[in-house]
Amino acid sequence: MQRDKFFKEIDNINHPNEKLIKTHCSYCGMQCGINLRVNTQTNKIIGVEPRYDWPVTVGKMCPKGVTAYQQTNHKDRLLKPLIRDDASLKGTAEGFREASWEEAYDLIAKKFKELQTEYGKDSLSVFSGVSMTNEKCYLTGKFARVALGTRYIDYNGRFCMSSAAGGFLRSFGVDRGSTLPWTDIHDTDCLFIAGSNTAECHPTSMFRIWNVQERGGYIIVVDPRETPIARRADLHLDLQPGTDLALANGIVHQLIEMGYIDEEFINKHTNGFEETKELVKEFTPEYTSMLTGVAPEKIIRAAEIYGKAPNAVVMFARGVEQQHKGVDNVSAYTNMALVTGNIGRPKAGVATFTGQGNGQGGREHGQKSDLLPGYRKITNPKHVEEVCSVWGITPEEMPKPGVSAYEMIELMEQKTIRGLYLLCSNPAVSAPNQNYVRKAFKALDFMVCSDFYLSESAEFADVILPAVTWSEDEGTVTNIEGRIIKINKAQEPVGESKPDWQIQVELAERLGRGKYFTHLKTAKDVADEFRLATKGGYADYYGATWDKIDKQDGVFWPCKDEEDEGTPHMFLDKKFYHPDGKAKICALPYRPPAEEPCEKYPLRLTTGRVVYHYLSGNQTRRIPFLHDMCPEPFVEIHPETAATYNMEHEERVRLFTRRGEAVYKVKITEAIRKDTVFVPYHFGHEESINLLTIAALDPISRMPEFKACAAQLEKVELKKVQ
Amino acid sequence: MKKRLYLELENCIGCRSCLAACTQCGGHEERNRNYVYDVNPLVNRQTMPLMCLHCENPACARSCPAQAIQIHETGAVLSALVEKCIGCQNCTIACPYGIPKFDQEQNIMYKCDLCIDRTKDGIPPMCASVCPSNTLQWLTDEEIENKKKQFNLDNGKWVTSMPYLEGETNVKVNLPGILQGITKLF
Repeated sequence: MQRDKFFKEIDNINHPNEKLIKTHCSYCGMQCGINLRVNTQTNKIIGVEPRYDWPVTVGKMCPKGVTAYQQTNHKDRLLKPLIRDDASLKGTAEGFREASWEEAYDLIAKKFKELQTEYGKDSLSVFSGVSMTNEKCYLTGKFARVALGTRYIDYNGRFCMSSAAGGFLRSFGVDRGSTLPWTDIHDTDCLFIAGSNTAECHPTSMFRIWNVQERGGYIIVVDPRETPIARRADLHLDLQPGTDLALANGIVHQLIEMGYIDEEFINKHTNGFEETKELVKEFTPEYTSMLTGVAPEKIIRAAEIYGKAPNAVVMFARGVEQQHKGVDNVSAYTNMALVTGNIGRPKAGVATFTGQGNGQGGREHGQKSDLLPGYRKITNPKHVEEVCSVWGITPEEMPKPGVSAYEMIELMEQKTIRGLYLLCSNPAVSAPNQNYVRKAFKALDFMVCSDFYLSESAEFADVILPAVTWSEDEGTVTNIEGRIIKINKAQEPVGESKPDWQIQVELAERLGRGKYFTHLKTAKDVADEFRLATKGGYADYYGATWDKIDKQDGVFWPCKDEEDEGTPHMFLDKKFYHPDGKAKICALPYRPPAEEPCEKYPLRLTTGRVVYHYLSGNQTRRIPFLHDMCPEPFVEIHPETAATYNMEHEERVRLFTRRGEAVYKVKITEAIRKDTVFVPYHFGHEESINLLTIAALDPISRMPEFKACAAQLEKVELKKVQ
Repeated sequence: MKKRLYLELENCIGCRSCLAACTQCGGHEERNRNYVYDVNPLVNRQTMPLMCLHCENPACARSCPAQAIQIHETGAVLSALVEKCIGCQNCTIACPYGIPKFDQEQNIMYKCDLCIDRTKDGIPPMCASVCPSNTLQWLTDEEIENKKKQFNLDNGKWVTSMPYLEGETNVKVNLPGILQGITKLF
């Protein structure tokens, strides 16, 4: 299915005494197809081979994907549970001793029971992630609600994609990250890409993206930095960080003014156009330019190209989403597609570049504070009843909605939350305002961390449980397109490590809740219960059986039953998911970033990624090739700005904000705005840029504003002299 | 059908996946054998790969006093034979592109062999297999001819291997500039 011009029949090379296991990369939402090489004598993973037969990526891999297999048998793997008896060592890697699973489980059950007896059910919390399978994400939600009975569960998607979810829900009434399959992208005529450093963060999209230009189409890139994709774009809108909403309003205004709107589509299939038209009137090219720093003629030209294109796709990523108006940014860029009718047909649509491997599936099935499997709402009694019937509990037993990830950390600091079960996430690097976050983790009475390496966050734990990598378990993941795909097991778990679903079943048994979990003996058992729990929800996975996934090269949700082949293109019938079937064009007043530059902090700090690292770097910093390519963070500065501070290339300088400071090596480049500095966020401890970032949260998605705050630079030597 | 490595320099995004993949072919002792350069790092993010071009009349092999560098029937210029290489580094000096690398510890040169265990059977080399941006491609002569037509520049030059290189090569290179020759759709 969907085999396009990039697909070529190529056989893999046969190495003696080896077999190939077809699977996908462990890292980002692209979920590139890979083959793991397994030695048939040792039964260990020893390498990687391209998976030419995967229709989305046809064998291509970024440097993270090429080396991903090195995680499995890495020397840093946690092989046994670890317990730390001396709580004064929290926040360091010191003081852990090896323990048996029995001892670890006993201690966790005892401490969890003590805390809940003394402080109530909601004194415990679960903080999870979406770099794991749908089955694990699903069970983590059930574990929190049924085994622990706590309302406090949330996940690291709040630091990643929750604004995209919020924006799509508001605009379309449904949150599927891409309205079209990736195999359409090279065939569109205009790609409008905002806040995505695609070449570094989703490199295997690039062969399709470049092909748009080779066909004579256009690429428009919105970014404060001249990223590799911006360098070759037909038009680069070099806006100030945190001003996307003004730019989107300005472009929508131009589309209306220049007559590029599709009135029939607007009238038949949308609400909110008149209000929006009225609101964006103010955003003339000159006014928009004043707010964003983008030249007026570029704004007009962008509208002209996008408006004229027979088919156009609007794409965005964390650059627009990680703001305290991320949801508004998403809806505002989506407005471009809705006013021009660029949606609901092949080669046109809206997509976000999913950050984490299962950023899409992981947010749909009940790890979010207010959601239940199938994208059901915990505040909707009918939804609660449907899920309770699968879980075997009564609606009265279902906990109330909790709070978002960063707000859970605030409750830890305030001692409302006393215990934490952390899995598949490293918030001691990835959360904003780290000085506060680390204080909150230290304030916990008891913390369990499940991971396969000793992460910066694990350093705050009392008990560390050794989890498996993606290659030692099986299950499904939902990729960047909304395609459900299958991760296959390539080797047995190293040491005594266990998959998180098994840990949760065994812990539930210790907590006296075994009757809701004991029947889950294999990943497949969890998968079957998970599919059933999504049945009837709008993210319906019921028909996406493992067999069908294998046969069809993945299944796009919704997929309601055995006959349903899934839904590669959304809204082909022009029916959106709001009750009246219409999409919403949103009138969104502009708000500046939460913290604007001032005399004391005159620079705009923005953060992001490099191609060699993934998320908090807990995995990729340990891979020799990736570490060698980017061993430490740096601060990117425009040469003219550096000159005003008398700073040289590679000099170490102090960067600071109202919340924290760090010392970085200067990287001089003209490929950044003069008023902006950039630091990648993959590094921990005193190198973490999140010591400096601001926890200004979006009112809807509760996403912190990683992408814009006010900062100042200082020479390190000067400080010593003082 | 014979295929060749083809380099479309305009496409490079600097991810260095080709270098990572070079270490993973199963026969390269996990050392990469090619290069990716930042063209002007203080100014912009332009990058370019520098791969062995597998010259038809390779200076490295000609300069080798021990005849350690063999040419495969497919045209691939192989890495020095371990038993013959004397570690003189003539090849590194002779190569107009500085491709052969030198292992100080073993006193031996090593270079790209175009993943000969793959390419002899028509399987693309690792670098071209993984390249996410299609900078490195594995194409038939017909496909390369089509590229040549598609990217014919209005100044009459097909910006490719000759006359910019030292001699004819098995690997074909297209220098940056392809977008200049494209007619826009609208």
